Amino acid sequence: MSKEEKKLEIMKTALNLFAKNGFYNTTIADIAREMGMSVGNMYNYFPSKESLAKELLIYTSKLFGDELKKINEMDISTKEKIKKIVELYFKKTKEEPELVDYFMRVYLSNKEIFNNGCEGMLCVSAFVTEIMIFFEEGVRKKELKNQDFFSAFGLFMGYLGGLVFLYREGILGKDIEEYVEPVSENIYNALKA
Amino acid sequence: MKITKKIITKIEGEATLKIHKKNNIIEFAEIEFWQYRGMEEFLKNRPYMDACVINPRICGICGHSHLIATSKAIEDALDVKITKKAEILRDITLGLEIIQNHIKWFYLTLYPSVKSKDYFKALEFTKEISKIIALIAGQFPHNSYSIPGGVTCDLTNLELIKIKNYLSELFNKYQHIMDIEGKSNDLEELFSDIPKTTGKGLNRFLVLGDNLFFKSNGDVKYIKEEKSTSLNKNVMYKDKYFEVGPLARNLDNKIIKKIYETFTDSVYTRIFARLYEVNLIFLYLLEIIDNIEINEKNYTKPLKKSGKGIGVVEAPRGSLIHEIEIENGFVKKYNIIVPTQFNLSNSTKENPSPAQSALMNEDEKLSDFIFKCFDICAVCVSH
Amino acid sequence: MHSKPKVLWIDGVSCYGCSHSFYNYPQIKEILNKIELIYHPLLPSSEFKIQKSDLLIIEGALKNNFSRLDYNLNELISKLIKLSKKVLLIGTCAVYGGMFGEGILFDKDKEGKFYKCHEKMISIPGCPPHPEWIAYAIEMIIENKKILLDKENRPKEIFTYTSHMGCVRNEYFEWKIDADNFGEKEGCLFYHQGCQGPFTHSSCNRILWNEVNSKPRAGTPCFGCTEKTFPKKNLFETETFMGIPANIPLGVSKRAYLTLSGVAKSLKNERLSKRLIDEDN
Repeated sequence: MSKEEKKLEIMKTALNLFAKNGFYNTTIADIAREMGMSVGNMYNYFPSKESLAKELLIYTSKLFGDELKKINEMDISTKEKIKKIVELYFKKTKEEPELVDYFMRVYLSNKEIFNNGCEGMLCVSAFVTEIMIFFEEGVRKKELKNQDFFSAFGLFMGYLGGLVFLYREGILGKDIEEYVEPVSENIYNALKA
Repeated sequence: MKITKKIITKIEGEATLKIHKKNNIIEFAEIEFWQYRGMEEFLKNRPYMDACVINPRICGICGHSHLIATSKAIEDALDVKITKKAEILRDITLGLEIIQNHIKWFYLTLYPSVKSKDYFKALEFTKEISKIIALIAGQFPHNSYSIPGGVTCDLTNLELIKIKNYLSELFNKYQHIMDIEGKSNDLEELFSDIPKTTGKGLNRFLVLGDNLFFKSNGDVKYIKEEKSTSLNKNVMYKDKYFEVGPLARNLDNKIIKKIYETFTDSVYTRIFARLYEVNLIFLYLLEIIDNIEINEKNYTKPLKKSGKGIGVVEAPRGSLIHEIEIENGFVKKYNIIVPTQFNLSNSTKENPSPAQSALMNEDEKLSDFIFKCFDICAVCVSH
Repeated sequence: MHSKPKVLWIDGVSCYGCSHSFYNYPQIKEILNKIELIYHPLLPSSEFKIQKSDLLIIEGALKNNFSRLDYNLNELISKLIKLSKKVLLIGTCAVYGGMFGEGILFDKDKEGKFYKCHEKMISIPGCPPHPEWIAYAIEMIIENKKILLDKENRPKEIFTYTSHMGCVRNEYFEWKIDADNFGEKEGCLFYHQGCQGPFTHSSCNRILWNEVNSKPRAGTPCFGCTEKTFPKKNLFETETFMGIPANIPLGVSKRAYLTLSGVAKSLKNERLSKRLIDEDN
């Protein structure tokens, strides 16, 4: 196993533990134990829990960013793109709930961990850049209403985040993927030109 | 009686002069402008700030006056007050525009209508004047540094010192063109074969702007624009024609007054006043530049979105009026009245405009010279 | 001795800003002494007549039913172009039409009435063009030097640059620090104030105006006055789509630009986030 593959495995293990026990309650030692590694060896891969957290964030941001880029490059209408993005989000929520949880909750509610080297949008730039391109092109094609970036971004991401939260809390009455259609429709109606 | 048609050029565009004459003596002259560029239409439905870019382009030689008039009209419409510092900076750049205009006009326009003269010394001088404007406004011609609410620049003392040194250097240099006593070899040479009493106007003067040291003697509400036979519009004040410009606004200066009392409002007096005004402006600018508080604010953002306003400035050729109506941030109506319209209205023999009056009863061979002594801006007329 | 090249300078629909800009060229006398100026709308010259010229300089736009020197303007220009060996179009009006009408070579982004003569034409757009650009073009032409031109017949030595290059506000651009207001030394005018510098072909900040300054240095945004789109609407505000600049710097992809600006914005530059000169500290 290469060093990169090993790092990825550690990150996935950490994700599971963060989801199960919470970010603060998980230590490097817990992760090492779960991996069957010595703590000393762990430090060869990640010098601290913070650095692991940061790399994890960059990894997830890039993962979503790459998928969004594919959608951005499709020759389809903005309305269809919205549906594809919602689909992507809800599908990932089902398949890798820890990942989505981390991206939407650990990062946003523990900003202080990311102050050193992850300021602003630095570690999530791959994802944010694609979202910006999606919005910019939608307006340029006159399919979306021209407005402040954050009022559009907040509406889109806040809505998805809310749905993911309800799903993870087990409150949602139906399977999350059944919400793709109405949620996409609502987002489009709210943002359209 | 014979009527000859003549196209007058080198006046920032062209005008058509129809001379009614008898034995080469001008009995009457019709003044026509046949160009139209539609500036006011171009401004309609644009955000009002665009006028600060469009309007300087009315004219390559006095566009800065149009910019300042634009800023003032909008400030009037939106109730914005500007700081003392912004006011002084505008006075400096506009004063300098007047200076470069007068020197160019004298050597490039007026002199060649009588005799040839090396005009490079004029350009040598005016490029330095442009440089001082640029230090404040970014460039000359066609800057947009004056905007509703103030100015865009934020100077340091570094520039102020440079500006002041340039001003005093150029003021000293100007003494070779016309000194502070009013002595000018080039002016006397120009009049070596022309009687100084040639070309009398109406002897009625109007000043509407109050920038620099000029004092207004009228109220813009009495101004009336009227259709003329060509594309120019005639302009009257209380139903009468008036002369505007350097002679009108400097009659209280004792040196100019003396010339006026000797030759009345002749071509010579008019030219003298224009050349002498340069000295007065230099002295004024050297005085006000010291009043600049470097830390004072340069700009105040206008808050209102609609309103009607008028901006009047004394431009190189006289009173310049801009009127604007703004609705929700956009230009609804715009109207511009330029000094050349006052001086060169095309009226009748019985009720002539200043330029028509000056031409009447003079030798036809001087028509070009007399016409040009008003410093005509054809592009401004054909806005 | 060779006779001097005959140069005829004619005005279309203009404001004469191009001529007045050229007057500021410090060595104008040297240039005018090298040519025979057979006509100029403002400078002393002989009476106008339609005649052959080695170089025709056109300032101003075309316009139907516009009279010039008692001729129909468009017909006059057509005759003069036919009689000239080279044509120098100065100013945005002459090249693209600008605010007054149609250009000689282009009508905004379409081919213009005289595009067919493009092989003998050189474009020096700008409202006004910088005096040095005009001087450069006249010198190069009368000395028969090869001028490398771009697709719009602009000399590459002048127009390969953007007006952004050399701007003293570049540090603010690098760190994505916006100007809050007009009348301040601090901040880049690209984000809100409408500055078109990063995508305008011109060298205003490289060689400076009147040898001392430029509009952005004086706190005024670049209005893109050398471009076919001049004057756009809403010149003091940056056009944005969902808060993202609609026009980005020339030569960079939107994705690359947004990534870079996101990074720069996140890494705050402390020094540039304050007033440069502050009485209190």
